[in-house]
Amino acid sequence: MKKFLVLLLLSAMIVGNLFAGGQDEKEMAKAVEVDESAPVTIQFWHAMSGDRIDLIQSIVDKFVAENPNITVEVQYAGSYNDTLNKVKSAYKAGNAPAIFHSYEIGTLGMINSGLVSPVDELADKFNQSIDWDNFFVPVEGYYKYQGQHYSMPFNSSTPLLYYNKTLFEKAGLDPDNPPETYSEVIEAAKALKASGIEKPVTWNLHGWYFEEMIALQDAPFANNDNGRGSELPTEVLFNNEEGKKVFDWWIGMYNDGLFNDVGPGWSNHRAAFGSGEAAIILSSSSDVNLLTKALNEKGWEMGTGFIPHPEGSDGGVAIGGGSLWITNQLTEEQQLAAVKLVKYIANDESQKAWHKGTGYFPVTKSAMDSLDSEGWFEENPNYKTAFDQLLVSPGTLNSSGALLGVFPETREIVQSAIQECYQGKDTQEALDEAAKEVNDLITEWNELIQL
Amino acid sequence: MKQSVFPSKVLPYILLLPTFIILIIFLFYPAFETFRLSFYKVNPYTNATKFAGLYNFKKVFFNPDYGHSFGISILFSLLVVMLGIIISLALSVLLNQNFKGAKIYRTLMIWPYALSPAIAGALFNFLFNPANGIICFFSGNYTWLTSGNSAFIVVALAATWKNLGYNIVFYLTALRNVPSDSLEAAAIDGAGSVKRFFKITLAYISPTTFFLFVMNTTYAYFASFGLIDVLTEGGPVDSTNILIYQLYKDFFVNSRIGYAAAESLVLFCIVVLITVVQFKTTGKKVHYQ
Repeated sequence: MKKFLVLLLLSAMIVGNLFAGGQDEKEMAKAVEVDESAPVTIQFWHAMSGDRIDLIQSIVDKFVAENPNITVEVQYAGSYNDTLNKVKSAYKAGNAPAIFHSYEIGTLGMINSGLVSPVDELADKFNQSIDWDNFFVPVEGYYKYQGQHYSMPFNSSTPLLYYNKTLFEKAGLDPDNPPETYSEVIEAAKALKASGIEKPVTWNLHGWYFEEMIALQDAPFANNDNGRGSELPTEVLFNNEEGKKVFDWWIGMYNDGLFNDVGPGWSNHRAAFGSGEAAIILSSSSDVNLLTKALNEKGWEMGTGFIPHPEGSDGGVAIGGGSLWITNQLTEEQQLAAVKLVKYIANDESQKAWHKGTGYFPVTKSAMDSLDSEGWFEENPNYKTAFDQLLVSPGTLNSSGALLGVFPETREIVQSAIQECYQGKDTQEALDEAAKEVNDLITEWNELIQL
Repeated sequence: MKQSVFPSKVLPYILLLPTFIILIIFLFYPAFETFRLSFYKVNPYTNATKFAGLYNFKKVFFNPDYGHSFGISILFSLLVVMLGIIISLALSVLLNQNFKGAKIYRTLMIWPYALSPAIAGALFNFLFNPANGIICFFSGNYTWLTSGNSAFIVVALAATWKNLGYNIVFYLTALRNVPSDSLEAAAIDGAGSVKRFFKITLAYISPTTFFLFVMNTTYAYFASFGLIDVLTEGGPVDSTNILIYQLYKDFFVNSRIGYAAAESLVLFCIVVLITVVQFKTTGKKVHYQ
């Protein structure tokens, strides 16, 4: 009798499912039920050193206070590269952290790595909606791939032009009017040079600026929709007309003795700006605080402006920085906890605290509005520039920034090409050779990633 | 004196076991994996592999940048070893004199060795950075690190300086062990201090010199990437991109695992070869007491 009942029940379930078919599709997509009060522990590995370790801890502490069933083990795992290498080893051993922090240029690699679950997928699974419209267009656009958001934006920045208002005035330039186009920068540099600054323009040797300057002209950096198409990118396009414009301008200033080559790294150009040896620099938007202080010490006033672009171009700035990824070896309770945590880190309160503590800009519009109504920008007008620059970015595939699996090497190769041009190589030739070298690496990467 | 003997044949092996376990986990296993992976194509994230024969080695040998790196690595190691040994021997001889505060000076000289390569790099960056390096200011030349040849020299000097402490410790010990009666006898026979140094002291410390030769070569090939990362990142235009730095980048930054494994195997063979040559040539001239 019992057996019969079980059989009946089973067959009823099977038949029921057969007929339920299409009608239940919506039901299937409905949130997975997870006991939200069950105790759960997740690990969170990030790549922010110094004071930022405590700042991240304090944001997480607030999250834990609101979600007492969740325990979060936060760990600083070294640089972005160190973190990624540790995650890979931990994943192989089956104990990867629930959430880890990676840099923007690792995005295509992470998507194809097989280590992560897309944030959108998990958010849908647990009905934890994410209001992507509230994010700045370039931020949302950068982490969207094939219509899906793979990671949660966390620390975002863009390059910014910084200039010394006091030295501008001395050179007879308008201190409230930073140069915007390539020729305006050259004119300002000449005036500054005439006023006694030997090499008034500088920035560090970094491929990031070159990438941004191509995005600002709304030109592609890589093929297949700038690496965002349905096929993996197979070649880079930065040796195009727009790329040459950037090189010609940059190297031209170097050849005319207007630009000081300070090499790679992030300290030399800041030092040159702080000591007045340079009056116009490019640097990360997260340097506002640091550079304002450096100039104040000398009694100088600092201004900020957009990244220069050639006359008549209409692209937009792409973001840099990092985002938070959720790994795919988690229990459902852990997945839910991870989604809640990344959402919390991207909320207005956390992002405002993060912005004030680090200089990275908050990733959402509502956080910016809230800062605005607090009067933050009246006290810190230079922070506003980064937002204004973001707001005018059109969010096209080109201005969203390229995705490439071999981005770290691409930057090295581009930087080497720039140095070759300093030594007198033809800009087009250097670009073509660099592109060829990158293309070989892309071919290899596309094969390896499918193993 | 009677030599003590282990009571059983098993005991020595048990006592050696911890060392072997550590060597196997941290040395032999990784070395074997490196060897194995150099013959595979490896997925940068999942580490999934596919046998590829000599594919990685072909890539290494047909890469023109690799040949360039190879050349400057040899030059770099020659500079670091020669300068390191000559300067540290000279300093050790000075430190070996009896003068006021000698102990303090001896301690200070060892300091650079205690610094991490990254910190040493940061210190040299203070001196040579193109924006406002101290030496740039006084020399009037701001391109020490941004023009190829001088960047190479600065990096080699930094690597040499960083290892001086190590060399000095060994040389000081060696100099203290030179028997004073030999030196006195030579002095009585009328040998001047220069002659005594070259004919007697140098011979007595030759085992140390040879040891340092080998150690400095290994150091120059394997341990200098931290300095380079901080000072030049291998630039300008690969002029400081020695093999170990390229290897570091290919594995830890670019995740080209199979390729990096092949590179490291090649580098390993080069250093073994150099060491063997050193033993066959210089090693024979060493005078052991």
